[in-house]
Order: sequence, then structure tokens, then C-alpha cells
Amino acid sequence: MTIEVRNVCKSFGAYQALDNVSLTVADGELMALLGPSGSGKTTLLRIIAGLDQPDSGEVLIHGQDLSKQAVRDRRVGFVFQHYSLFKNMSVFENVAFGLRVRPRQQRPSDAEIKRRVDELLGLVQLDPFAARYPAQLSGGQRQRVALARALAIEPKVLLLDEPFGALDARVRKELRRWVRKLHKEINVTSVFVTHDQEEALELADRIAIMNLGEIEQVATPSEAYDRPATQFVSEFLGFANRLTCHVENGIARFGDFSLPTEFDNYAGDAVAYVRPHEIGLNRANGHDIARATIDSIVALGPTARVDLAYGEQRLEVLVDRERLTELGLVVGDPCAITITRAHVFRGT
Amino acid sequence: MDRRDRPALRDPRWARGAIFVGGIGFLVLFVVLPLATVAVEAFAKGFELYLHALNDPDTISAIQMTLTVAAIAVPLNCIFGVAAAWAFGKFEFRGKTILLSLIDLPFSVSPVIAGMVFLLVFGLQGWFGGWLREHHIKIVFALPGLVLATIFVTLPFVARELIPLMQEQGTEEEEAARMLGAGGFRIFWSITLPNIKWALLYGVLLCNARAMGEFGAVSVVSGHIRGLTNTLPLQVDILYNEYNMVAAFATASLLAGLALITLAAKSFLEWRYADQLALTRR
Amino acid sequence: MTAMTATAVKATPDAAQPPFRRWSVLPGFGPALGFTLAYLSLIVLIPLAALFLKAAQMDWASIWGVLANPRVFAAFRLTFLASAIAAAINCIFGLVIAWLLVRYRFWGRRIVDALVDLPFALPTAVAGVSLSALMAKNGWVGSFFAPLGIDIAYAPPGIVVALIFVGLPFVVRTVQPVLQDFEPELEEAAATLGADRWVTFIRITLPALAPAMLTGFALAFARAIGEYGSVIFIAGNRPGLTEIVPLLIVIKLEEFDYRGAAVIAVASLLISFALLIMINILQRRLGRHHDRG
Repeated sequence: MTIEVRNVCKSFGAYQALDNVSLTVADGELMALLGPSGSGKTTLLRIIAGLDQPDSGEVLIHGQDLSKQAVRDRRVGFVFQHYSLFKNMSVFENVAFGLRVRPRQQRPSDAEIKRRVDELLGLVQLDPFAARYPAQLSGGQRQRVALARALAIEPKVLLLDEPFGALDARVRKELRRWVRKLHKEINVTSVFVTHDQEEALELADRIAIMNLGEIEQVATPSEAYDRPATQFVSEFLGFANRLTCHVENGIARFGDFSLPTEFDNYAGDAVAYVRPHEIGLNRANGHDIARATIDSIVALGPTARVDLAYGEQRLEVLVDRERLTELGLVVGDPCAITITRAHVFRGT
Repeated sequence: MDRRDRPALRDPRWARGAIFVGGIGFLVLFVVLPLATVAVEAFAKGFELYLHALNDPDTISAIQMTLTVAAIAVPLNCIFGVAAAWAFGKFEFRGKTILLSLIDLPFSVSPVIAGMVFLLVFGLQGWFGGWLREHHIKIVFALPGLVLATIFVTLPFVARELIPLMQEQGTEEEEAARMLGAGGFRIFWSITLPNIKWALLYGVLLCNARAMGEFGAVSVVSGHIRGLTNTLPLQVDILYNEYNMVAAFATASLLAGLALITLAAKSFLEWRYADQLALTRR
Repeated sequence: MTAMTATAVKATPDAAQPPFRRWSVLPGFGPALGFTLAYLSLIVLIPLAALFLKAAQMDWASIWGVLANPRVFAAFRLTFLASAIAAAINCIFGLVIAWLLVRYRFWGRRIVDALVDLPFALPTAVAGVSLSALMAKNGWVGSFFAPLGIDIAYAPPGIVVALIFVGLPFVVRTVQPVLQDFEPELEEAAATLGADRWVTFIRITLPALAPAMLTGFALAFARAIGEYGSVIFIAGNRPGLTEIVPLLIVIKLEEFDYRGAAVIAVASLLISFALLIMINILQRRLGRHHDRG
């Protein structure tokens, strides 16, 4: 089922949490809402679920406007950041809750409930823990109970708020792979909120990058990394060197050298973002266009991070350590640099 | 985020109505109407008779007695509360939990029993009854008995406000002062007291309200000697049993006024110093 | 050198044998604890011990003789029954008022919040006289019930009314902070799973509040059993009918039957302690999954 968010605005008092946000999630897609805290990503997720009311705009699930529908009639699976498991109920009862509270005519029989809950507990690999209480489980196990509980109502869409936020790094990595696999199996349209870009890049089919209540870019992970749509995305996703430049006649000039841009009719100041691996390094030979000095070299496994002083600016460059040895460069040496690619944005 | 903005938490209209009507109705019936009754009955025969009723020598001596009892009992319990809080709040020792629960004991003993235990110790048939009579010392049916019974029932008030607060505040500031060479009283006056003053005031307020209003315990040890061992609550009892309604309710109105002032001061402290009192609020 | 060693020994007490207290640089522990214990003993512990000794002086037959009296039995039954009913009513309305104060915003909320504490601040004698005037046949409330043939004042319902008054703040004040801290996400989770507000309340919210409600019930109940001032004005005090245990103690004392009074007092204390311990156990069982979560 698809999710369509159309022109949603939401403010809390004077604070604008969402400013005219639109987003479409395709059927069966796993979408990440990525952004720093305060970017409005959790608010957007809660509005899709019906846990918050938008001030204006609408949310359609499978083409149906849900604005007027109460949360409990929406059949939206929601996994809360801190799981919010019912402490007074066993794991089994937690998962069965959504089935037991159905109106009498739609309620499955006890045997059917047991079958379905057992099946779900098998799916999240928690069969031996059915009789335990949430307090007796580890963080990762609680997370999986929360997921099984949300899936029990056969939700039209699955929404997860910072699903791995409260877990330690190792469990997080494990659970992430498992969720990816699970999503392939059940194939339900899902949206999850995260502030961890690694998580978004690894898990999501597409990422919606949010900042200050607006969506900056919606793209596949590689697209967002390779072709950031805005300055914010360039800075937020991975690391990029920020260089000021001047654009004229479609050419960006960085003092000593220049690069072609897409701006044919723009003349003025601009900002360029260059990934550390998009800067080439060579020995200085006297005919170089641009020359920098090596400030420091940090070995990071097979690659090395080289910090350069280039005029007033500092640049971070990633090179193979083998290549560095070949060049024979050490700290304090002058070197020649080339920029293979840059993302240039107008303004400063 | 405010709870009210969350649609999933909104109670249905009928439930909101029922809770509002039920809750406010219950409070009106059991709190507002009794208060109103005191005022209406006290002024039933007009303002002049109200003043006249209060201007009775027995009532005036009851006021004096109440103030005297409170003036002795409250400071003593205050000193006790601070000493207990210093010992329990700043030090770790064995048996602390049991001793702590003993401090709360007076709250779970009937006021009547609280009064009666002093009869058993100091009364004519009591442990020291004979000795006291030989030396012409009166404890029960006299001021000391009233004070003792009042101290018993109000003993926990100050201590239970201060102990959790001082436990929470820890000992770092005091230890720092100690390292800088401050002596015990210096530490208490300059470090501890400023940190606990609002909670102390809060405890004193509650202690005082109960001390001035106590009925059961003092009733047992007072002997109801008019003009001598009557406190205000006992005076209300006597006047009421004489069917002197205006005087009984006029006297009661003084105590009700005291209660309202206490509540106002308490609410002010809770509102103004919420962070300091948060620990102790029941 | 010797001085150094001495200090070191003092600063690090033998770990194998825990000391009476952990060492601290702060002064005044001895005087403070000493004063506390002396004061507590003189005012509370020794006098209470006198009560138990007084009762213990009697043999079982005479103790039984005091307690088996129908008037005494009736007083015990009335006191505990009325206290339980009052505490139960306070439990329900205490929850309603706590809900009102925590979940809703309305004009005058602060005043309502402050009024809840009035029974703590209002002297019991004042409550007694005003409640009996209010509930009497010609009173504002009593006059509504009189035509129906229901007496409130000078009858058992009056006792319940007075006990409701004195116990009113307890449940509100124990439930309020728990409700305040109750994660809203739990109710939202129930809503996303299809539960309506009522089911959510019964299955999610109420179980979380139950331990606090039980604590409030126990406090209100304990207070009610010992209550004297507010009850004697409204009860009518007819022997065997509307006489409560504390009044019976006072009557025995006025008759200079100190032993009889002591027996009744000890019995009443023991029964209420036993009930409170039972409530405590029940509360632990109710809260067992919540504590660790």
C-alpha cells in the first residue's frame, strides 16, 4: 500500500515543526526519514500514524484520506522509540493485544489468536520467551516484541520511530540486518525515523532527508550521497570539504583552478562541496595549478586521511596508503591537488 | 509536547464530562460545602453575635492555650526534624531503614491512643503517677500533657519533609566546606540550612496546622477543664455539645481560617519552590 | 609515621566487617542520632511500650472478656467496615480527581488542586461539626435524603461520610505523581493496535495505577481506623450501633478502666497493622512486573 503525504503543515505554538511537507512512499518500499533532531521527522511519522493532527494537508494510505479517521481504525503498525511494551502483560499477551481488542464479530478465536501469535513470535525468533514479561528481556528482544506486536494487526503500513536508537552499537548492527531481511519477507510498506545516516544508508530503499521542518531531498542512498540536492544534504550526509568559489559563464573558479558547472546564467559567489576521495594528490613539480601543504597524515586501515592547508582553507583528502607510499609524501611536504568532482551551490 | 494535542489520548466527550462533574462534585460535596457550612453557621445570627461569641473569656483562653501548645511543640519537632534529617540524610549506618519507619509511626497510631499512652505513663494509675502526685507535678490534665500529646501526633511532619531532601542533596557541599576548614555549626548555617529552608518552612507549616487543630489526642489528656486546659478544637466540642451553635461555629471558623491560610501558603511554596519540594510532595 | 598510620586506619575501615556507619568527614553524627533516638524514645516508643505492657499485664481470660463483649465487637465491626467503605469510595473518586488534575486543563485547576489538601489542614473537630450540620435532617445535603427515609448524620452513613472526608487526599496524592509520569506512548501504542479508550484504560492504564491506588487505599484506611474527632460529632455514638473503636477507648478511659482501654487499643493497632501488611503484600504482587520495567 502506498503512503501519500500532501502539503502537511504542523506547528507547536510558535515552533514550525513541519512546513508544507509532501512525500510519497511506494508500495512495499522501505523509506527512511533522516535528519538532525528537531528536523520534524518524528512529527511527520506521528502524523502519518494519526498520533498527531496536522494543521493542514492530508495523509492518504492506499489512496484513502485518513485525516478524519481515529488512530485505532487506521490499522497502522507503530513501533515506538522506547518500545512502550505493556509491562503488566507477558510477551504473548503483548503480541495478542491487537487481536484481543477487536470488536467481537471480527475477533479471532482463542486458538486462532494462539496460532497467529506463535507464528509471529517465530518470525521474530522469540518463541521461547512467550511467557516472559518485558522487564525480563534485553533491549533487542523488547524491540522484536514491539515489532511482532505491531505486525499482529496485519498493518497496512509499518512505522518505526528511531527503532534502534536505544540499543547498543553491536545489537543495533545485528538487528538492522535482520530487519532488512524481515522486510523482504513480509514486504509491507514501511517508514522509519533515524538520525543515524549509516542506518538510513544501509536499510532504506530511499531516504527522505529532513531539516527544519522541510524535506531537502528524497533519493536512493547512493543518489543522495553522489548527487546531494542541497547544501544541507552535502554537509549532513557523509563528510565533504566546503570551498567558497566564484561562478562566471558556467565556470567555477577556486583561486588557482576552475571546474565546469551547470550554472549557465549565474554569475556570483558560490559554495562547492568536495568529498575527500574526490581530491587527487600528486608530488609538487613546479608546474602545478594548485599547491597545498601536508599538515598531518592519519592512517585508517587501507586508506589514509591527509589534512592539507590550501591557502586559507583546510582540506581533508582520502587516499590509498599504497599510493601515498608511492608518492613518498610526508608531513610538511608541498603537494599538487586536483579536484575531480564538486557540487556547487549558489550563495555563500 | 502537550498531552492534549495527542488525538489518541483524548478521552471521549462523555468521559470528560463525567470525570469533570464527578471529580468537582465530589470535592464540592466533601470539601467546599463543609467549609461553606462553617461560614454560614458562624454568621447565622449576624456579624455582631459572631464577634460576641468569640469575645468569650473561655474562648480567648482556649486561643491562648492553642498558641502556647503550638509554640512549644512546633519548635521542638522542628529541632527533632533537623537533627533526624542530619543523621539520616548525611550519614550511612546500619538499621537506618527500620529507624526511618519508626519516625512515621505516629501517623499510623490513632490520636486517641496517642493521648492515652501519656495517661498510662503520667496518669494517676500510671508508671510515674504516684511520684508525680507526691511532688505536686501535674502532667496530664495540664499543659505538659497537652504539649506531649501534640508533639506525639505532629512528630513526623518536619522530619519527613527534610530527610528525603537531604538524602537527595548528598554531602558534597558540606564536605567541601569541611575541607575549607568550616566547623559543624558553620557548615549547617551557611550550607545546609539555605538548601533546605523552603522544605523546612513547608514542614513547619503542616506541623503547625496539625498542632493547632489536634483534637483526639489532646481531648484524652486535657480533662476538659474550662478556661484552663481547653484548646480551640476542644472549645468547639464543648460549645457544640451545649447546642451553642453560633459560638461553636464562630470558634470553628477561626480554625477553618487557619486551615485556609495554611493551604494558601502551602500552595504558594509548592508553586514557587516546586523543584525543592518535589521530592517530598505526597 | 605512627600518626600517618593511625589516620590511614581510620579512613579505611575494615572492609570484611561492615562498620556501624560509613566513615564521613562531616561532624555531628553522634549528637544528631543520639538526640533523634532519645526524643523518639521518650515521646513515642516508651509511651507506646507502656500501652503494650499495660495490656500484657492481663491474662488471656480477662483480655477475652473485654473483647468478646458485643458492644466492643460491634464497634470493631463498624470501624473496620466503615473505614473500608470510605477508603474504597476514596479510591474511585481519588482516581477521578487525580485524572482531572493531571489530564485536563481548566480554569481554577490550581484552586481545585489546593482544595484536595483541605482535609489534611482542617482540624478534625471543625470537619466533624460542619459535616454533621451539613448532613443533618435539616442540613443542605441531609434534607435531600431525609424524605427518602435515609439518615446520614447520627447513623452509620454519617460515619462513612466523615471518614471519606479525612481520607480524601491520600489516593489523589499517591495516584497523581504516577499518572503524571505515566508514558503517554503506552496509551498511544494501545490505540494503534485498535483499542478504544475504555479498553486502554482497563487493560493498560489502570493496572499501572493499581499499586499507587492500593497505597492510597491503605493510607486512607489506616487513617480512618484511628479517626476520632470528625466522627464523634456526626456518629450519634449509640452503643452497639454507631460507636467507633476510638470512642470506646475514650469511654473506657473516662471510666478509669485503663486496662480495658489498653486491650482495645492494642487489639485495634494489631488488626490494622496486620491488614496493612496484607495490603503491602498484595501491592507487591500487583506491581511486580512494573518495578523492574
